[in-house]
Amino acid sequence: MIFAASLAAAVVIVVLSATALALWYERKLAARMQTRIGPQFVGPIGLFQPVADLLKLVQKEEIVPMGADRVLFALAPPLTVIFALAAAAFVPLWPGVAVVRSDVGVLLVIGFGGLAMVPVWMAGWASFNKYALLGAMRAVAQSISYGVPLVLAAMVPVILAGTMDLDGITQFQATHHWFGLWPIIPGLPAFILFLLAMLAESNRIPFDIPEAESELVAGVTTEYTGMQFGFVYLAEYVHTVVGAAIGSVMFLGGWDGPFAPGLHWLLLKTLCLFTFIYWIRWTLVRLRADQLMTLCWKWLVPAGLGLVFLSAAWNQTGWSR
Amino acid sequence: MAVIEEPRSYFHPLYDVMLSTPGLSVGVAPLDRLLTWGLKNALWVFPMATSCCGIELMASAAARVDLDRMGTIMRASPRQSDVMVVAGTITVKMAPRVRRLWDQMPEPKWCIAMGSCAISGDFYRNLYPVVPGIDTFIPVDVYVPGCPPNPEALMHGLMRLQEKIGLQREGKLVPSEPRPDFDAMVRPPALSRIGDAARAADLSDRQEQAALTMCPDAAPGVVEDEEKGFAQPATQATPPLNTELVELLRDRFGVTEFPLNAPPVVSADKHLELAATLQKMGYRQFLFVAASHRPAKEGSEDLCEVAYGLRTVGAGTKEAIWQVRVPTNQTVPSLVPLFAGADWQEREQYDLVGVKFAGHPDLRRIMMSDDWVGHPLRRDYPADKECAPWR
Amino acid sequence: MEVTTPVRTLPYRKLELYEPEGDMLTLQLGPQHPSTHGVLRIKLHLDGEKIIKAVPYPGYLHRGVEKLCEQLTYVQMIPIVDKDDYIAPMHNEQALVMAFEKLLKIEVPRRGQWLRSLLSELQRVASHIFWLGTMSLDLGGALGGGSTNFIYCLRERELILDLFEELTGSRFHYNTHCIGGNRHDIPAGWAAKVHDAVNLIRARLPEYEAMSCNHRLFIERMRGVGVLTGALALELGITGPNLRASGVDHDLRRDAPYDAYREIPVNVQTAKEGDCLARTHVRLAEMRESLRLIDLLIDGMPTGPINSSRPAKQANQIKIPSGQAYASLESPRGELGTFVVAGNGEANTSPYRLKIRPPSLHALAALPYLLVGHNVSDAVAILGSLDPIMGEVDR
Repeated sequence: MIFAASLAAAVVIVVLSATALALWYERKLAARMQTRIGPQFVGPIGLFQPVADLLKLVQKEEIVPMGADRVLFALAPPLTVIFALAAAAFVPLWPGVAVVRSDVGVLLVIGFGGLAMVPVWMAGWASFNKYALLGAMRAVAQSISYGVPLVLAAMVPVILAGTMDLDGITQFQATHHWFGLWPIIPGLPAFILFLLAMLAESNRIPFDIPEAESELVAGVTTEYTGMQFGFVYLAEYVHTVVGAAIGSVMFLGGWDGPFAPGLHWLLLKTLCLFTFIYWIRWTLVRLRADQLMTLCWKWLVPAGLGLVFLSAAWNQTGWSR
Repeated sequence: MAVIEEPRSYFHPLYDVMLSTPGLSVGVAPLDRLLTWGLKNALWVFPMATSCCGIELMASAAARVDLDRMGTIMRASPRQSDVMVVAGTITVKMAPRVRRLWDQMPEPKWCIAMGSCAISGDFYRNLYPVVPGIDTFIPVDVYVPGCPPNPEALMHGLMRLQEKIGLQREGKLVPSEPRPDFDAMVRPPALSRIGDAARAADLSDRQEQAALTMCPDAAPGVVEDEEKGFAQPATQATPPLNTELVELLRDRFGVTEFPLNAPPVVSADKHLELAATLQKMGYRQFLFVAASHRPAKEGSEDLCEVAYGLRTVGAGTKEAIWQVRVPTNQTVPSLVPLFAGADWQEREQYDLVGVKFAGHPDLRRIMMSDDWVGHPLRRDYPADKECAPWR
Repeated sequence: MEVTTPVRTLPYRKLELYEPEGDMLTLQLGPQHPSTHGVLRIKLHLDGEKIIKAVPYPGYLHRGVEKLCEQLTYVQMIPIVDKDDYIAPMHNEQALVMAFEKLLKIEVPRRGQWLRSLLSELQRVASHIFWLGTMSLDLGGALGGGSTNFIYCLRERELILDLFEELTGSRFHYNTHCIGGNRHDIPAGWAAKVHDAVNLIRARLPEYEAMSCNHRLFIERMRGVGVLTGALALELGITGPNLRASGVDHDLRRDAPYDAYREIPVNVQTAKEGDCLARTHVRLAEMRESLRLIDLLIDGMPTGPINSSRPAKQANQIKIPSGQAYASLESPRGELGTFVVAGNGEANTSPYRLKIRPPSLHALAALPYLLVGHNVSDAVAILGSLDPIMGEVDR
């Protein structure tokens, strides 16, 4: 119990500090892609920039707009962080160890991912702002739609490994093969599908219509000030970091790797996926809401169903056992 | 009147808690230094970009200057920004919005006036729609002069702002006056800020006079000095209308006068018919409406001359320009039924000159706000018309 | 040029006719909004996200330039009109002085004409490249791929601004045109720099095309959005790339040639579709054409004076006899014209009335027609693709 609690605290600290680092990393990465330098003056190579941002956000006045639903308005930002962090509890850190080991880990992770939509809707509704409302509407529609291909993509490793336990999936990959690489037919497309759906769930470009800056000013976060905004800002990154971690657990073997399997492999894979996600973000333009729905329901969902069928067929061949 | 240093020192409620809790108050000083460092190094900009300076504001976020180096990013929502950079001319119509956006920003907040229009109104200062400097209605912390200032200048301004924040928080830059009532704060511009008190009052007039008397009799068009190396001006005149149109106007619309350097005058009742005829002849592109006001003089009444322009499309394009001359209180037939493009142009002329167009479906003001009194481009309208409380 | 049936549906439709019981959302886009290109307000009536009526409200940047010009002399007002279309100040100045020259019957010397055309083409490239950047910003947001493309485009724009800075001393607001010619002649070594910049931009254009009009997502967002028919465009007085993207082959540089365009033929770029993608293609093609013209202009630059007289130093040095004239040129946004009413019966040093014909105003007037039926995301794309500059719309 004490071990689990301290592990949980450690995971929270690691994820939050990794997120702070990710903030810096992403800004530097974006700047490099744009032939800029990025944060440079605050600390060595701008490393303390997220700290300065955080300290500033803490000091800002917190404004509740007139006409806002005060309770929901105040509750939404912390909830976004909590839901985003909750999914991290199920990530297997090294063989046999996770904060929470559950036989239905995959289901819980996806469930918490889907729950993250609730505070977004709360924020959008409570803000008493049309931009926020439109953003929240888009977020809900997108989250519900993209939940389906996400589940379908996640079903592929579940079927292949024969378990819903995230650690079990990793163990299976360690003894057999990484699902992202083999079997190439349901595995790699499922990995890509999972990435796409996860981008949509965490509202990253090209799926960032809920906070579409050029259309909806700042989307659901339009009315949030100070640390309230800081929470939402943080939650976005936590969501991406945790999503990248789960992607690497389910398709890239998590802690598994040559030489010494362990946490470092998980972190490395997460970093690679994170970089890839932000590479996409700083390259593509966003899609329109109806195009997103078309993409989801006409292409991704049928593809996901096909992949589930194919993975079941692969299991019938018995080649991976 | 000296520059008023606006006293704005917002402190987070956290300080009160720490100061009132025994044992925690020792932490205030180091914490304050840390927090000040945070404030200084994460200045998020709200780009209140209206015109030319806004382009330089965008350029300062781009690769050459890159404000991100000092931790400054642009936020589209005022709720999440710390510095409002007012870049561009602020008009009377826009000023209430700027004020409102400023009020929506959370404390602690700062304002940078970027460019001479935001600082003083620049050469638009004495014109009816322009607010003479944004510091008449929001407190400005840093002025970045220029027209427009280079991106480097904006970065320099942000660095000066960092210094100022540091000094304010250390208490070295104390507010000199009690906090004024900002909600009611719209005050006349501090003229002394841009004028020199030691300067003689009539110096500007004398300078202008001196400039005017230096070349009293400039011949029309020809500059007095023809040194070698300068080409001679050409003298052949270009006819304002092509012969086809001259014949049309003479034969079908009863126009007799065709002045060499002005469009022919068509009577108001033939005007719409002329436009329809021209449209059938291929003049299908709408060019412009320009009304000019001729105030009443001896022998003539208060007139408005409304010039219209159409153009043919494609190779060898020709333009047809004619004008309608009506007393100011009468209407001109609108061209909107024929050319949808006349819509906004006629609204503009109605707004600015006060010509009424008969048959226009939506004759509202377009440039000025709906409650504006008078028509600014009339000759008898004072250019520096006051508009309380903004100017 | 297939322009036949005129479109006679005015956008003043009554909202009550649209589902009287339905819930509608009124969204005020602007006047301060990240992608209204300045301070434009558009009142959108939304059904869900679908726009059922759009009413633009310009005028938030109305600075009274025309009134100011009545107060100033012909020499003084040239730097004032620089601020109208602040993306392409060169064209503003030239459109103004062309009207004065027409009244004065002054002919600009050949080198001056070529220099004007050269500056005009450089400015056109700078303007279109800036437009491409802001268009990407509208589609991709400041926190996404759009801003990457935007920053690339601004990097190239800086090259041209550097050239202008060397020539005139200012990044924009040049005050380089004067009545009868130009104020600043080409400095030594400038031509080589122009070539370098042009070659660099030409070499990098495929990169931008890969990120914009050849990119799958970009095409998806732009194709079929905001279709403007040629007939409507003509009737609305829309000019420039917006008109040419609707299939109307019309360009003042070729059809009513002025300056060096009388000697150098311009290939007019058109597209048929009239949607946002067509406008993008036309602008990119125009950019290539302008780069070609710049090379021709700088190589064939004649010798001789650049001005028909010494540039005026005193404010009241130039008097224009009473008369009215309209002169126009092809700016990056379309036909930018100046209608000047000079003098009131006698020669005078300042105009009686000055009217600037802004191409952006007409482009914006198309918004009520174009936005209906699209959703909010498209509204931003359509607005961006029309390339309005509010300084010019409102003056």
